[in-house]
Amino acid sequence: MLGYLARRLVMTVPTLLLVAIAVFTLVRLIPGDPVQVMLGDAAEPAQVAQMRAQLGLDQPIPLQFVHWLAKLLTGDFGHSITDNMAVLPLILERFQVSAIIVLVAVGLAACVAVPAGLIAAWRQNSALDLAVVGSATLLLSIPSFWLGLLLLLLFGLKLKWLPVIGYVPFSENFWQAMVFMLLPIATLTMIEIGVLTRMARAASIEVLRLEYVTHARAKGVPEWLVLGRHVLPNAFAPTWTLIGLVLGHLLGGIAVIETVFTLPGLGRLLVDSIFARDYPVVQGCLLFTAVIYVVVNLIVDLCYPLFDPRVTVA
Amino acid sequence: MLARRPSAAAMVGLTLACLAVMPTQAVAETVLRTRLNADIRSTDPGTNRDANTDGVVAHLVEGLVAFREDTSIGPMLAENWAVSNEGKTYTFRLRQGVKFHNGATMTAEDVVWSFKRWLDPATQWRCLSEFSPSGIARIEKIEAPDAQTVAVTLDQPTALFLPTLARPDCGQTAVIHRDSVGADGKWIAPIGTGPFKLGEWKRGQYIDVVRFDGYASRSEPRSGYAGAKAAEVDRVRFNVIPDSSAAKAGLLSGSLDVISALGVPDLEDLKSRSEVQISVTPALGLTGILFQTKDPLLKDVRIRRAIALCLDTAEIAGVVMQGTARANNSALPIGSPFYSEVQTHGYTQNIAEAKKLLVEAGYRGQPVKMIANKRYGFVFDSAVLVQAMAQGIGINIEIEVLDWATQLDRYNRGDYQAMAFVYSARLDPSLSFEMLTGPKATQPRKIWDNPEAQEMLRQSMMTDDAAKRQALFDEMHRRFIKDVPMIVLFNGAELAALRKNVRGYAGWLYPEPRFWGVSVQ
Repeated sequence: MLGYLARRLVMTVPTLLLVAIAVFTLVRLIPGDPVQVMLGDAAEPAQVAQMRAQLGLDQPIPLQFVHWLAKLLTGDFGHSITDNMAVLPLILERFQVSAIIVLVAVGLAACVAVPAGLIAAWRQNSALDLAVVGSATLLLSIPSFWLGLLLLLLFGLKLKWLPVIGYVPFSENFWQAMVFMLLPIATLTMIEIGVLTRMARAASIEVLRLEYVTHARAKGVPEWLVLGRHVLPNAFAPTWTLIGLVLGHLLGGIAVIETVFTLPGLGRLLVDSIFARDYPVVQGCLLFTAVIYVVVNLIVDLCYPLFDPRVTVA
Repeated sequence: MLARRPSAAAMVGLTLACLAVMPTQAVAETVLRTRLNADIRSTDPGTNRDANTDGVVAHLVEGLVAFREDTSIGPMLAENWAVSNEGKTYTFRLRQGVKFHNGATMTAEDVVWSFKRWLDPATQWRCLSEFSPSGIARIEKIEAPDAQTVAVTLDQPTALFLPTLARPDCGQTAVIHRDSVGADGKWIAPIGTGPFKLGEWKRGQYIDVVRFDGYASRSEPRSGYAGAKAAEVDRVRFNVIPDSSAAKAGLLSGSLDVISALGVPDLEDLKSRSEVQISVTPALGLTGILFQTKDPLLKDVRIRRAIALCLDTAEIAGVVMQGTARANNSALPIGSPFYSEVQTHGYTQNIAEAKKLLVEAGYRGQPVKMIANKRYGFVFDSAVLVQAMAQGIGINIEIEVLDWATQLDRYNRGDYQAMAFVYSARLDPSLSFEMLTGPKATQPRKIWDNPEAQEMLRQSMMTDDAAKRQALFDEMHRRFIKDVPMIVLFNGAELAALRKNVRGYAGWLYPEPRFWGVSVQ
């Protein structure tokens, strides 16, 4: 187990290096200049040149990359061009907001989607199955910004049960934070229920068709036991893989939801930084996202044996 | 159906709860909540800045002079000033009893210290280049003959000295207390003389400015960034809300009191809401179509003129701005005191003349690529209408939509055929022309390379004689219309939506909201 872990961690080094090169190159291939964005339509050439020199943007790009990489190795992600804040603390601060929403939403979605998928598969082609599949497809098809705005209009504007804008960290006031987080979490949960239910149903249908399920039923094992003990654990592995991918994807930022609900999360930071051409922050966010992706997938892989004894991580 | 009656115990509990709450309500602070579409960059005036930063910082700091409502210059921290030495020396008499946010009294030494900090290249003041050899004038000397007097000596006279000091993007050349920076010279926080002082800044969430009880207000009425500045609420919270739909929902739900920089698409809906009032103010920005006059096709002025003559600019302004802005073809904004009868003569739609010019120029349907962006919806909408009207006489305009940063890059490099663009507000007419005219060889972003216009511009910067300046601006306007380096369409409008309980809010020509003199009922 530890050997496997060490091997995987070593393998992440070239992955992250490639990501770093790709990120650095791609960010600089985007047309537009951070200094010109900052100075706007009144930028004097002398001002532009002075600021570019101060920010080190006048140096050759390979040299800029070497400087950036050398700092990265010491844990220094650099400073934001826009507001001069250190990038890593900024990312970590924003990541907390995104992570709470994503982890809670995906957890809740899994709790609903896995049983729903299992039951739909169990009653395949029935009215219940149709209802589950229909609901899942509907949820999956709704754009998150639209669903978010609808919830905002209903619960914030019409019913006035929940605040429309604002954010309070959990560390400051748990209950107030919950009030602000409820709608974004609900939005994301509903979307992810759609994603996960379809996978859980498809995996359960496949397992239900296997001979050992028929055998268990022939032996007279009660149906709830067939589902709970024989179908669910075997059908859960593909869903677990999908949860890992979803988590990796969402933890990189849920920009749309964060924008609609005015949350200071990682996704909004990344989008704002791209528009401002804030190279250090864009690079930092993308690299951080890559690290999160690698870590989440590693955790998912390490957890496989818990669900499927045939898998080993030795 | 029977209604359930509250029990006696519940009534007693409720009464006690109300009594418990009452003292809190009696001392509750008044908060005005507004929206920023993006966070500010810093609190250091005129350095790391953008329009949002300028707008917030204007509540915290003040300079010697400030722009009035009509874009003239009025005194702020200066009581008055005198110009001597053939227009090269400005002697400012300071107001007495002005306090900084830390309680210290402002003196001439503070003004000298602040000026020296701005002029230090390490400060990275945005307007430093204006006082360099290539700028409006060099500052040769700053002295404090006594505690209430400051004298600034320039190397040459210029009409732009006071307007430059007052420019919001220069941080109004704010007078700040020296404790605003640390011993190492690094910026800490603004200790200014404004009606509000800095409260809490939660990056990405909000920035609070809190009423400064020691504020010494001027006696004249509020006018632009000059005049009286009474803070009538305890706190103003600028919430960072990038999404306009969320901001609108915030206003309608009562979570926000004011949305400034309201988008035109939201106007119609909000107008019909009983709980909302709309503020419409003419703005100073220029929205229009830029032409690259070095382009093989568009270097022919007849084609540029044909495009100008095929447009119904009044129709474009009316549709795009939903009746909140008038058409204007002049580089001078309608709100400028120098906007005279001459400036009202622009392009009149003349399809026959436009077609004739195209035939004379030998135009045969070659495509004209026009860059536009969707960050400013009114710019994109203008581009679409221009494209449609030009198509009517056979001009083939293709729109290329880019993000703002890319468009700005192409603008600065002069790398375009045509471009739908918006210039930010310039408060002095010389600066309105300065952003347009210049040699393309050294400044590719300049759109109007006309040496005679550049000479007239230089003269307008040297004199503060209003009649002379008016004559120069009139002549520049005529040549601008004749050369067609750009078709100005309209100046736009500053739109704000307020809840009905907000009193005293008024926009002005500069597109940043002011929250002094504003109360929440």
